[in-house]
Amino acid sequence: MDVALSKNGARLLRAFFAFVVVFLYAPIAILLIFSFNNSELPSFPLSGFTLHWYHQFLTNPDLKGALETSAIIAALSSVGAVVLGVLASIALTRRRFTGKAAVSALLLSPLVIPYVVFGISLLLLFHTLGIPRSILTVVIGHIVISLPYTILVLVPRLEQIDVSLEEAAYDLGASRLRTFRSITLPLILPAVVSAFLIAFTTSFDEYAVASFVVGTRATFPIFLYSALRFPSQLPQVIAVAVVVITVSLVVVVAAELGRRIAERRLGTLTGS
Amino acid sequence: MAHEAEAGVTPARVLHRKRWPPDLTTPGLLGLPLGWLAVFFVVPIVIVGAYGFGVASLNPGPHSFTLTGWHDFLHSSVYLGLFWKSVKMSLLVSASVVFLAYPLAYYLALSGTKRKYVLLLLLIAPFLTSYLLRVLAWKVILGDQGVFNTFLFWTGLRDPDHPLSQLLYSRFAVLLVLGYIWLPFVALPIFVSLESLDRRLLEAASDLGASRWQAFRRVTLPLSAPGIAAAFLFVFIPTIGEFVTPSLVGGTGGYMYGNQIVDLFGTGFPDWQTGSVLSLFLLGVVVLLTIAFARFLQVRQVTAG
Repeated sequence: MDVALSKNGARLLRAFFAFVVVFLYAPIAILLIFSFNNSELPSFPLSGFTLHWYHQFLTNPDLKGALETSAIIAALSSVGAVVLGVLASIALTRRRFTGKAAVSALLLSPLVIPYVVFGISLLLLFHTLGIPRSILTVVIGHIVISLPYTILVLVPRLEQIDVSLEEAAYDLGASRLRTFRSITLPLILPAVVSAFLIAFTTSFDEYAVASFVVGTRATFPIFLYSALRFPSQLPQVIAVAVVVITVSLVVVVAAELGRRIAERRLGTLTGS
Repeated sequence: MAHEAEAGVTPARVLHRKRWPPDLTTPGLLGLPLGWLAVFFVVPIVIVGAYGFGVASLNPGPHSFTLTGWHDFLHSSVYLGLFWKSVKMSLLVSASVVFLAYPLAYYLALSGTKRKYVLLLLLIAPFLTSYLLRVLAWKVILGDQGVFNTFLFWTGLRDPDHPLSQLLYSRFAVLLVLGYIWLPFVALPIFVSLESLDRRLLEAASDLGASRWQAFRRVTLPLSAPGIAAAFLFVFIPTIGEFVTPSLVGGTGGYMYGNQIVDLFGTGFPDWQTGSVLSLFLLGVVVLLTIAFARFLQVRQVTAG
């Protein structure tokens, strides 16, 4: 006898699970269907197949500009967050110092701050310093938001690695930098890649903080938000939505598979 | 872990170990991340504090420390009422999604299904796609001329002159969309706590004559309580300050505390002092909650799986 679930209980839970999965994916499926619908208004009955909306958004210069801006911001902020995250994670896992609990609490605290409060805080900072809002001000905010996520990914990986590998390199005369480059970095590379991906997607999708510190060049979420207010833009925004959601679902699955494979391979290498 | 290995090493190695890790470089490692957070995270909050207590102001001229902003806030039925409304909405969303996600996590962790990680990914994947676009999907579905209503007209279930008009731009819409957004995510911490449950405890309970329900109530549920608490807070903390979803689907009925803060800093009638007071109050509530429940918030649960 199974102690956790009866046969009927398992059947019931499986049905409930399937129901929730349908609930989660149905809105996405509806977007997919209506992205091909030949009508200005996403409503029933369906009025024929068209690729018009996809064509329209591909030739929309505002949208292209917004995607570009977001890509630049996401690239800069994710590199920044990963660099800061690697430095902080090494300190947290390889160094002993007083106040470590307080330091790690501070490093992780952006996780819990309400974004509306953080956005306004940054706005007031830049206002006080007289710094005009631009791509860089968004990058600054996104690095703060992404930093704790990179640490949460990197620290467990650093803890898995056998410290004696680093010590051996150091004993054999490698400098600290060399040790990091030849031993530590290759071993934590899968975690660095997933930290980078998490920071990139966090930034690419971030609206709340960006809405306070964005300059004249709209990011993709800012563009979406304003497009949502104009019904005429709705069909092409739906088409964009389908593309973006599909791409992100593919990236998620690929990243997860990649991480599993890489960690399995490195796991046999380091014996962990 | 370095200190676990230290017991059996020779004195020479201990000396060596003192050079590696060399403590000297700790400031070098931490300087940049902590400096970044100090300048772009801590100082900005201090500036909000300065505005909230009247030390800084939008108006030119001299200003000094004052508590009028706080006095007005604490005696304003509008702001406090809005705060409680947001607390209630946020509580309702958090409790509902935890209640719904628990059986999902239970099924994945304890039914013995071989594909549990695939199913977990299936469940969580929507959370990892664009937030705004998931809100957009519901805007398309819920509107007066939206997918749901026109489907009802089309099938004759509803008269086109009388659409279900409370679906969009209402408190209901905000609750539904927030629930939809957070449901996949809360399954994760609950799954992690159930996954680490020692099944032998359940077998022992069963051997001692407990029914499945008793074993669940006396063993599984208490042991998964930290996961439940973490899941609850992971939703409650971000939704209480939410302003994006209410501004897109909430109308006036779904207007939340976060929207009020945004509007106080908006272009219409900016009142940075009151806005700062509202921000600091929200921040204070969230910080207190985080500290009170810190032992449940083992953030590593976020990265597992």
